[in-house]
Amino acid sequence: MGVTFRLKNTFRRFLERPGTTVDLRPFEKLLPEIEARGEELADLSDEELTELAGQAKELVEICALGREAGWRALGERAYDVQVLGVLALLGKTVAEMATGEGKTLAAAIAAYGHVVRGFGPVHVITVNDYLARRDAGWMEPVYKLLGLTVGYVTGLSTPAERREAYKQDVTYVSVSEAGFDYLRDQLATDIDDRIQAELGTAIVDEADSILIDEARVPMVLAGTIANEQDPVHTAAALVRALRPKRDYEITDDGRSAAFTSEGLARLEKVLGDIDLYDTEHIAQLSALNVALHAEALLERDVDYIVRNQTVELVDEMRGRVAHRRRWPDGLHAAVEAKEGLNATAEGEVLGTITVQAYVMLYPNLAGMTATAVHVGDELREYYSLEVAVIPSNTPCVREDEEDHIYATNAERDEALIEVIREHHEAGRPVLIGTLDVSASQILHKGLTDAGVPCVVLNAKNDDEEAAIIAEAGTYGAVTVSTQMAGRGVDIRLGGSDQSDRERVAELGGLYVIGSGRHNSRRVDDQLRGRAGRQGDPGGSIFFVSLEDDLVRHHAADSLPAWPKMKFGGLVDDERVTAAVEHAQRVAEGVNHEIHRNTWRYSVVIEQQRKALAERRERLLTTEVAAEMLKARCPEKADEIEDDSLLELGRAIALFHLDRLWAEHLAELAEVREGVHLRALGRVDPLDEFHRSAVPAFNRLIPEIEERTVATFEEMDLDEGWAPERAELIRPSATWTYLVNDNPFGSELDRLISMVGRTMKSRG
Amino acid sequence: MLSAFISAFKTPDLRKKILFTLGIIAIYRLGATLPSPGVAYGNVQQCVEAMKTGDQSGVFTLLNLFSGGALMSLSVFALGIMPYITASIILQLLTVVIPRLEQLRKEGQAGQAKITQYTRYLTLGLAVLQSSAFIALARSGQLFNNMCNEFPIVPQTSLPDWVTVGMLVITMTAGTGVVMWLGELITDRGVGNGMSVLIFTSIAARLPSEGWQILDSQGVWGFVGVIALVLVVITLVVYIEQAQRRIPVQYAKRMVGRRMYGGTSTYIPLKVNQAGVIPVIFASSLLYLPQLALDFMRSDNPGKVYIFIEKYFATPTSWSYILTYGLLILFFTYFYVSITFNPTEVADNMKKYGGFVPGIRPGKPTADYLSFILSRITLPGALYLAIIAVLPNLFFIALDSQAYQNFPFGGTAVLIMVGVGLETVKQIESQLMQRSYEGFLR
Repeated sequence: MGVTFRLKNTFRRFLERPGTTVDLRPFEKLLPEIEARGEELADLSDEELTELAGQAKELVEICALGREAGWRALGERAYDVQVLGVLALLGKTVAEMATGEGKTLAAAIAAYGHVVRGFGPVHVITVNDYLARRDAGWMEPVYKLLGLTVGYVTGLSTPAERREAYKQDVTYVSVSEAGFDYLRDQLATDIDDRIQAELGTAIVDEADSILIDEARVPMVLAGTIANEQDPVHTAAALVRALRPKRDYEITDDGRSAAFTSEGLARLEKVLGDIDLYDTEHIAQLSALNVALHAEALLERDVDYIVRNQTVELVDEMRGRVAHRRRWPDGLHAAVEAKEGLNATAEGEVLGTITVQAYVMLYPNLAGMTATAVHVGDELREYYSLEVAVIPSNTPCVREDEEDHIYATNAERDEALIEVIREHHEAGRPVLIGTLDVSASQILHKGLTDAGVPCVVLNAKNDDEEAAIIAEAGTYGAVTVSTQMAGRGVDIRLGGSDQSDRERVAELGGLYVIGSGRHNSRRVDDQLRGRAGRQGDPGGSIFFVSLEDDLVRHHAADSLPAWPKMKFGGLVDDERVTAAVEHAQRVAEGVNHEIHRNTWRYSVVIEQQRKALAERRERLLTTEVAAEMLKARCPEKADEIEDDSLLELGRAIALFHLDRLWAEHLAELAEVREGVHLRALGRVDPLDEFHRSAVPAFNRLIPEIEERTVATFEEMDLDEGWAPERAELIRPSATWTYLVNDNPFGSELDRLISMVGRTMKSRG
Repeated sequence: MLSAFISAFKTPDLRKKILFTLGIIAIYRLGATLPSPGVAYGNVQQCVEAMKTGDQSGVFTLLNLFSGGALMSLSVFALGIMPYITASIILQLLTVVIPRLEQLRKEGQAGQAKITQYTRYLTLGLAVLQSSAFIALARSGQLFNNMCNEFPIVPQTSLPDWVTVGMLVITMTAGTGVVMWLGELITDRGVGNGMSVLIFTSIAARLPSEGWQILDSQGVWGFVGVIALVLVVITLVVYIEQAQRRIPVQYAKRMVGRRMYGGTSTYIPLKVNQAGVIPVIFASSLLYLPQLALDFMRSDNPGKVYIFIEKYFATPTSWSYILTYGLLILFFTYFYVSITFNPTEVADNMKKYGGFVPGIRPGKPTADYLSFILSRITLPGALYLAIIAVLPNLFFIALDSQAYQNFPFGGTAVLIMVGVGLETVKQIESQLMQRSYEGFLR
């Protein structure tokens, strides 16, 4: 290690740059001790090991026992770097560990450590059901040796199975299942109906993906409400007849669309010469706006796919089909109408929580991923988590080539297929990561036409996908997949049995090709990380086209008019390379800004949710409702027995609490939508949002009481009372109109943009 | 408002923030009174005394107001927050001209952080320039209108001149760096916007001495009268600053859960004083020009033009001066509002996201409607600004004295102080609301 390198590192540490704040040196000093203790443990019987495991408290003991248990149960002895990972996880940080370094085992030992130190129960949060099931099963013998029980939850688990799984010491569960279980518990009307036990510690797998990318995704529980009329199909038909540019306009960033005056006139004529902006036609106008959004902004096979007569969303972060996810606010029905399907019933939001808020409910939080440093600042800002960079066991020898940039999509695809064909013919396995489902289909067709057999991963279920991706390292294999496919599954050279390992390694190992830059460097790095596992040879390259959405949306004006080109449309111009990188940074900034804004506005809602949850808890577990009724309507309350009054009062009060909360959420959504306009009065929109949200919430508590009393007074005691329970469905989506909560900029910005406009119009 | 402060102090988190801000303010004031090395403090005080009695309409008085008197005494924080503000404005302007900066601005937070870094470098650069200029002016006596040439503020010492001057420049530049940091600290960890709070502090810091001066010259009853008048003015300003016309807006994007909540939750607030304090600053800066011209034309036998300008446009008590001042403010108010509130842009934004004013069609009709309301509301706003701004001048006529030219109860100062005060209180209130759920249930 050179002096300048050390100096630079010291300086970075002084600046608290992510990845430098966790000092691994004290951990490294423990390694010899752990090694020595491990040798002592080797002589013990399994029973003695289990008994010792129950008493361990010290880090050294925990790691040594965990390592020994892993060796006995799985035949895998944790490397020193894995032990460092365990220590980082026990220290409640995010451990950055390279792909294939055995994160699963490290997490298991850390989970054991947290339980035995009294921070249980531990939830290991995974990205999908497949990984939850696989990891729980895989690690079960280890836990058994350590004297712990383990369970897992998937989307198919019944409530009884879930309750059982959450009772175990360690539970493997995907983030959305855990979040929805929590939300459903929040609506339980009987204590026995609840599923989750208390929350202790969360160890988050693929922490960057869950804690950052998906953080702003709200998990929403909604009840179905009957819709008397069906304006969506008429609206869809009307909008379909419109022509883009003439009748409606889409903004450059592709996030919103609006009718032009001409389009409006056309619509109003068809609807019978009405004024859509009259208050009585607002429902129709809403339907048309939503239909326009569905028609103009959501693209089939990019944003959603149609399968078995249903519309299924594609997760924009992962490029995978998101099961049981819906767009909110009638958009989903509008998309269904656009595709000529039956529109499903619309949901009214009953409860909502963002992934971020859910994860923060855990008193103890740790995480692991292969790419954490890039999001270090955000992890610190939102979760107060630091990143510990764990060195890899064997240095990575993957060769990352520079981007190949082409002027058009056609030229890029041609070159891409040519490169794949060359490598395929040589026998080198190739993995191609595409940006979306339709791109993978186009590529599939192109490869088939060129005579290259390939496997395409899209919209398959997680299990099959894992099996396919595990074979992506086979001699001559060509695999096309979207960005996150098969994450968490190792790609071994020469296939999962490693039969052809030598032959493939000689050819240079797995070759990873990205068919376009993603919205963040981190996702690019994840894709690259599929190759070069545990010191394997490998290579990676990205093929970019100047017609990619990323470049068009974010760097259209930074591209030189006449870039220098080579034969075949390959661009060789530093300015273009810089522009592509600029586009990616802009995209990262935009995403970050959306995340931050969503978060800033959700903080107050989150506090209100917690406050109301406390109140709900009291209603559910104590007799406050009955007491209140006795005090407020003593005569009627005396007519029935105490037991039934208790039950009845509780049911009525809970019903009104849930209803009012749903109404409150709708009101806040309404305020949020237009609050950016307040900036025009030189006030901070966020402050104004609080100013609306807080009094509205303070009115909620007395209102619950009033409504409860009113219902009780009105009801007929002989007939009893049953609330109209809405059926629970679970939509969830990312739905953002605005990147910035002040689109007009500060006054200075406006002044300057005015100056700029004047200058440009003259110049 | 008082109760807000009391409950703010009961919230540990917020109490910490407020105390932190007060601590920073204390440091800022300490630095503003701390003389730089090489400055004769005794002479500074004598000089300030001399200035009080004389005519003090100089170019630097406004700057001195913003630095809380630190400029005239060449203290460590003599330059105050002004270089930082200037640097921010310059960099904002440069984003229009330099494509690289425009790119950075688009890259969001990471890019913005780089621009902030450039702003800091530029601040230090400006600080070197400004401190050199002021030191030169101070040494030649011009900074004080040649009124205290007998008490040299930077006296000759045995050290060579370049050492003294260099030391002063370094000290003031470093001081500016510290002020910049203090401002950022307030924004990050305290309450309110750092720059505004520091300007507020500087202006407020002059209140006691100016008040003393009034007490001295007008006696107790005069003093009480002035205070009463000032309170009336402040109350008026507080009311009008908060006055706004709310134009209801409706968003038609949601198919479910949409209810009418009285239509009050979403609106465009059009303030009566939509322009803020800027028109006053523009107008008074423009009215400095005749004064500046006179300084250059000064001679033993003044010509007709000189006398004309001096009588009608450089004497704050003359009716022509007051009238011109008022008219300039009216003009700048309309001008500034038309720049910063672009009805077409607002209408376009609303249309883009599916919003509209009930009963009015989106696009041009909405823009027309907005500019109609705006033009009607701007007139009272402009008149109000003009009246507040010329009040001190009327005051001079009443008191028959020119000694209070820039006294801090004047229009600009009151407007700035009330503005910053309201903004900060609102922020505290909002944070207080956010935290009001702790112990919500008892």
